[in-house]
Amino acid sequence: MNFSYNWLRELVEGLATPPNELGRLITMKIAECEGVHAHAAPVPGGFPDSIIEIDNKSITHRPDLWGHVGLAREVAAVLRARFRDPVRLDLIPPAEPAIGVSILDLDLCPRYSALVFDHVTVGPSPLWLQCRLEAIGLNPINNIVDVTNFVMAELAEPLHAFDHDLLHGETIFIRRARAGEMLMALNEQSYRLEPANLVIADERGAIALAGVIGGLDSAINARTRRIVLESACFLGSNIRQTSTRLKLRTDASMRFEKSQDPVNTVRGLARALELFRQVAPGIRLVGGLADQKKDLPPPAPILLPMNWLIGKLGREVKAAEVRDILERLYFGVSESAPGVFSVTAPSWRATRDVSIKDDLVEEVGRMIGYDTIAPRPPLMAVVEPLASPERLFHRQVRLVLSQQGFTEVSNYSFLSEEQARALGFDPAAHLAVANPISIEQGLMRMSLLPGVYRNILENSKHFEAFRLFEIGREIHQRETGLPHEIPHLMAAIYARDGAADLAELKRAAECLLPGAEVRPAEVRSYEHPARAGEIVWRDHVVGRIFELHPSLVTGRAGLLDLDLELILRLGEPEKRYRSIRRYPASAFDLSVVAPERELVGDLRRQIVGFAGEQLEELEFLRQYAGPPIPAGHKSVSFRLTVAAPDRTLSLEEVGAIRNRIIEGLRGLRYELRL
Amino acid sequence: MLETTLSELEASARAGIEAARTPEELEAVRVEALGRKGALAQVSKQLGALAAEERARVGRLLNAVKQGLEEALAARKARFDEEALRARLDAEWLDLTLPAPGARPGSLHPITQLQAEIEDLFTALGFAVLDGPEVETEYHNFDALNTPPEHPARDMQDTFWLVDGHVLRTHTSPVQVRGMETLKPPLRMIAPGRVFRNEEVDASHEHTFYQLEGMMIDREVSVAHMLYFMKTLLRHIFGREVTVRLRPGYFPFVEPGFELDIHCLICGGAGCPVCKQGGWVELLPCGLVHPNVLRLSGIDPAEWNGFAFGLGLTRLAMMRYGIDDIRLLQGGDLRFLRQF
Repeated sequence: MNFSYNWLRELVEGLATPPNELGRLITMKIAECEGVHAHAAPVPGGFPDSIIEIDNKSITHRPDLWGHVGLAREVAAVLRARFRDPVRLDLIPPAEPAIGVSILDLDLCPRYSALVFDHVTVGPSPLWLQCRLEAIGLNPINNIVDVTNFVMAELAEPLHAFDHDLLHGETIFIRRARAGEMLMALNEQSYRLEPANLVIADERGAIALAGVIGGLDSAINARTRRIVLESACFLGSNIRQTSTRLKLRTDASMRFEKSQDPVNTVRGLARALELFRQVAPGIRLVGGLADQKKDLPPPAPILLPMNWLIGKLGREVKAAEVRDILERLYFGVSESAPGVFSVTAPSWRATRDVSIKDDLVEEVGRMIGYDTIAPRPPLMAVVEPLASPERLFHRQVRLVLSQQGFTEVSNYSFLSEEQARALGFDPAAHLAVANPISIEQGLMRMSLLPGVYRNILENSKHFEAFRLFEIGREIHQRETGLPHEIPHLMAAIYARDGAADLAELKRAAECLLPGAEVRPAEVRSYEHPARAGEIVWRDHVVGRIFELHPSLVTGRAGLLDLDLELILRLGEPEKRYRSIRRYPASAFDLSVVAPERELVGDLRRQIVGFAGEQLEELEFLRQYAGPPIPAGHKSVSFRLTVAAPDRTLSLEEVGAIRNRIIEGLRGLRYELRL
Repeated sequence: MLETTLSELEASARAGIEAARTPEELEAVRVEALGRKGALAQVSKQLGALAAEERARVGRLLNAVKQGLEEALAARKARFDEEALRARLDAEWLDLTLPAPGARPGSLHPITQLQAEIEDLFTALGFAVLDGPEVETEYHNFDALNTPPEHPARDMQDTFWLVDGHVLRTHTSPVQVRGMETLKPPLRMIAPGRVFRNEEVDASHEHTFYQLEGMMIDREVSVAHMLYFMKTLLRHIFGREVTVRLRPGYFPFVEPGFELDIHCLICGGAGCPVCKQGGWVELLPCGLVHPNVLRLSGIDPAEWNGFAFGLGLTRLAMMRYGIDDIRLLQGGDLRFLRQF
């Protein structure tokens, strides 16, 4: 919302604060000023101005600040200056209204006021009016429409003028739209309405979408001679619902959805009446005020105990100062009991903004200045903090990975269908964003791979070799309820030439998961078909280790994917002390000749099975292929350590274990090199 | 007679010891002079033929010669050992300027590092660290935070909606709600995490960034208490007092609400794209918890008060490390990430 400095000067007596300083003051006391810009005179003879730009988000709760009068009241309160109200209600004569008003839903429209004018001459506005509108970013159209826009920008009260001669009947109806009722709006778009939408109608049909936009058929035009000027108040949530559904946001809907002040309708008409007389010479008011309203109870007084207020602020403040602040802001203040104020909000603050005593803390706080409150540590009860094992576990994973040379990356949770397909994922399996920023970011990731894959491609342009990892959440949709968010680790080792060392990745996995094993697994489309396996830990498949399929990358990339949720759930094994063995162990070596692609992991498992419970350690020493080992075979050497807890094993006993293993392996048709 | 033989023997053995070039030659000299069948042993056998007085005298002489030769042998042997050790050590020469093999530590993401520091600080101050889902229910992201469907504040945060009707959380505040639902007051909690806004990305805007929510509910909680935690947080992160300003800010879930700005540390307050030329950076929206929010989570606002804040962790990282382009943080570029 743009505010004209010149305009504010007319409303705040003696305003001399320079525009930039005023902007700063507004930010610190009222609402966020995003900038102050000099505005040159748009035409020769026009007035230079300064524009104070206020962030709309910071006045979401303040219907009154959507007009200059609202801001001027605040500025006057801050500067202890006098606010000059531009509205003269006495201009509206007491007379019978020249048009009927019939509100059929007083909840959606708590007040509707109107005046009728004739002898209207539609033409361009005078320069001063055009300059005012142009300075705050509104386009001048003609004198009648410009006055309605001026009053909206001044009083935050959107007005609408109908061409009286284009209306049917002598009554304005405010009613819910009929299902399927159509309205051709001023923007030349046709809207199909439903009963949730409120319309302004004559006896034939809708002539405006209440609080949002006027109808084209009754619009002011060059031949307009008589007008009906509408000034109304609508239920904010209903206006917002309509404008959201129709995707139609207007200056009027933006104001009405903030819950405007019903008192303002007649003020808007009085101000317009005065301005019409200035800019449309000869115009004549016909009859008096047409006005229908819901009987609203006066806002309940808010009880504000001083000691409660001081407790909230954490600073002493005098009762007299509180009263002065609230009164400067037009609150009604009386002392209902010793140390308790009874406070009544002005009508323009009472619609939504101020209703409980907490709202008054802000009024007092901002006016005394938050910078006058000194930080103070609280006296706190001791509370045992909730444990957060997942967080600590993720920290540990990060530490281990970074110590192993991996650098942490953070990728988006989004991916494109194309990215999904490139890796063989089914786009339809992904949860989709209903309103993505772009098609590139339409799906929620079900794997960290697409992001890490992109990291590999991008970084391979700058580095010969690197290691990186990400900890992030996979998002998996479920039948009902929130999706399943599974934290994963994805670590990558890349080398442009030579090997991307999967053993290094496996070592990293073992650092995290002592005793983890790799087992062969069904290969996925993005994996090197001969270099992929799953990680098994404590009898569960907790992840995968693989090389990226060579068609996907220049050079080689190894990847480790771990399900951190599952790993955390499996937990650390309980730690129990076992007495240290007192009797010496015996060791011997075994070399097994096996087919080239026999898995060393399988051999180990066989040996462990044959060795029995006296096996203490089975250490892999080396494997070798070449003469004298027959072609297509390899020799795998292990060192076995055997022992008993209660004695030293005799040579015979050790020999028996060794023989048992040898016999067992031979039974499986393995050769042994003895 | 024997005396002459002894002194000749001694002289020849000493010459042999001096001349020995290897430990083996030295051993040969020892055997020849001091061995069981060596020269001195031979002399010793002849002692018996001497008169008692003479025998004693020559015997003493013999012992002196023997002892002298043993000492000379030991000294020579020590020299050999020393030479051998020196030679071995010299052969073991190592170039310690050679780079060591193996991977060097990688770095942790700047947000991770900052987040850990703040978690540790608040843990020490008695706050629990909570976590919540990134995909949220509309209720937790909005309604429970005093932002019902037709509330205009819904527009303050551009929201990503999922096809299943859920939202990508627009702030970490829903974790407050989850915290209040599970923990009983008095409670103190923080909740760091990833949040989403449907915004076009440029140097100072991201659709994906990190916040750190904080909340304290107790019997007496004031703006002054809230300020204490804010100031402590900033002093801890920057290692010094940071210039801040506290101004009114509107968020439906707090009353009163504030924006805490810090002086832009990218440009020093002169104005740059990160601070939108204003010199101040919005870092900590905060406020006293709105009684409706307490009530919605089953906490009686007549009995309990609270403050809440939503620290912009991403923006704080930018301030802390002087990062002038927000896109770098989610960009995955190791040339950037390795600097931390």
